[in-house]
Amino acid sequence: METLWLVVLGVLTVGYFSLAGFDYGTGLLLPFRRRDETLRRMTPFFLGNEVWLVAAIGVLFAAFPRLEGELLSGAHSVFTLVLAGLVLFMAAVQLRLWSWLVFTGALMVSVGWGLFLAHLLHAPWPVALVMPVLFAVHGWVFQTRQWKLFPLTALLCALPIPLAFSSIDVTGLMAHTNTLGLLAWVAIPIIPLVVLLQWSIVAISSR
Amino acid sequence: MSAADLARLQFATTTSFHFLFVLLTLGLVSLLVIMQTRYTLTRAPVHERMTRFWGRIYVINYALGIVTGIVMEFQFGLNWSGLATYAGDVFGAPLAMETLIAFFLESTFLGLWIFGWGRMNRWLHLALLYLTALTAFASAFWIMAANGFLQHPVGYRLDGNVLRLDDFSALLTNPTFTAALTHVVFASLTVGGVFLTGVSAYHFIKRTPEVDFFRRSLRMGVITTALATPTLMGAGFAQFPVIAEYQPGKSEAAPWIGAPLGFMILIGMTLATVSWFTLPLLIKDAVIRMRFPLYLMVIGIPLPFTAAIFGWMFREIGRQPWLVYGLLRTEDAVSHVDASQILLSLIVFTSLFVLLACVDWALIARAVRRGPDVAPAPVSPLVVTL
Repeated sequence: METLWLVVLGVLTVGYFSLAGFDYGTGLLLPFRRRDETLRRMTPFFLGNEVWLVAAIGVLFAAFPRLEGELLSGAHSVFTLVLAGLVLFMAAVQLRLWSWLVFTGALMVSVGWGLFLAHLLHAPWPVALVMPVLFAVHGWVFQTRQWKLFPLTALLCALPIPLAFSSIDVTGLMAHTNTLGLLAWVAIPIIPLVVLLQWSIVAISSR
Repeated sequence: MSAADLARLQFATTTSFHFLFVLLTLGLVSLLVIMQTRYTLTRAPVHERMTRFWGRIYVINYALGIVTGIVMEFQFGLNWSGLATYAGDVFGAPLAMETLIAFFLESTFLGLWIFGWGRMNRWLHLALLYLTALTAFASAFWIMAANGFLQHPVGYRLDGNVLRLDDFSALLTNPTFTAALTHVVFASLTVGGVFLTGVSAYHFIKRTPEVDFFRRSLRMGVITTALATPTLMGAGFAQFPVIAEYQPGKSEAAPWIGAPLGFMILIGMTLATVSWFTLPLLIKDAVIRMRFPLYLMVIGIPLPFTAAIFGWMFREIGRQPWLVYGLLRTEDAVSHVDASQILLSLIVFTSLFVLLACVDWALIARAVRRGPDVAPAPVSPLVVTL
């Protein structure tokens, strides 16, 4: 049961970060590219990643209740940065007033995740630059339609934080099997369904 | 202010902003279900245009509301780590159900509905909207189940110094959950009804050429408000015996706590009375020709939102000093973080939420002023801003 929940959390986190590159990567490149076309390419993916983030935090809360609070409150200011960036990014993309506002939002989110990575690894702060660079590269690969490189850069965006997570020892931090068993019935069918539906969104919008 | 006070203030701010978005989302999606069902059955263009116009407002509000929800969810871990540590096994179950069954699916169904517009079988497209609405209300269901547990903890057993899940079904039959869920659902329908009425009235004030379109919308809004408010009030009053039994001290939690409760009841009664008086005036469009009620309808848009915030304040402040009633005190659940960190995030989020509410208002106002499409728009007609 414990392994199952580590896998579920891993899948959700990988889902978020592999989709995050489209959004934030595009945001980071926006001031340097043609705005309307660049945003149009991103449209089917917009908000697609945030649902994975929300699901991941929900699972973290219910399946790892003794870890969730410590992990989040232990990096309070870092998450303030990530969330502030998210709010700004979403509002800016919808408003379409100014490319630099989208850029600032995307930069805050990606530097925030970089700082969280550095925090998890107890690494010095320059490590934080890894995430914005990876997102920007992935955004560039996506925008310039280099499909051969695409899976590689998606994976590079997806892996750092879940891998850094794996250094945490979760013994004693997980919920009781009563809670885990109940939630397993929900999580296992839903995740493949969402993957299928999100794939349909992309397929149907590119028709 | 202490870390606990700041964290409470931040939670109240985040919840209130989030609640505003949620109410409109739930209200509009229910009315969209009716509009699109009528379109699918009759294939009349006016129903399609109604679905598109109100659907666009719904999508704008949904997309901006999501971020307030994300902040909301992170806040449990950021500021209230004591809650997860102590009660995460029980409280976390409905919360995770919400993220997985409801929100995760809801957003995905909605995405498919947006991008599938005009590109798939119309029955399948309608089914997607039904699924979106169903999962949206499932979201309200699980959140209220989680909140009901905080008001009156059930279905747990104490294991050392943490709570364990003992009987999940007890969470779903919790009396502080069931009556409140009905109340919230009908509050959102009232918000939808009042919103449709007010926006349509605005267009009549502006002498819209789209008479048939907004006449239908206005009637739908008034009828929805008239039908929703009696149940809304009934489910509200039905909670008093529950409160008397499980939270006898609720009205004494703060000296001024009666005020928001009183204002909420006043607004509810006003909306019910006015909407029932308006019903006969719908005959031969009397209410539109009289014109002055139209101004009242526009002014009335914020009323159900305000009432909902007041009701929420009574429910949540009335629970104090407990976070989990009788088990965990609010001050004991605060994370071990510096008050200055919470203050920083409070300032950052409050200003961003004000910005977000303004953006939401500006984008909705733009979509409202633009009115329904005359010619079908290219790509997806629902994503006005993307």
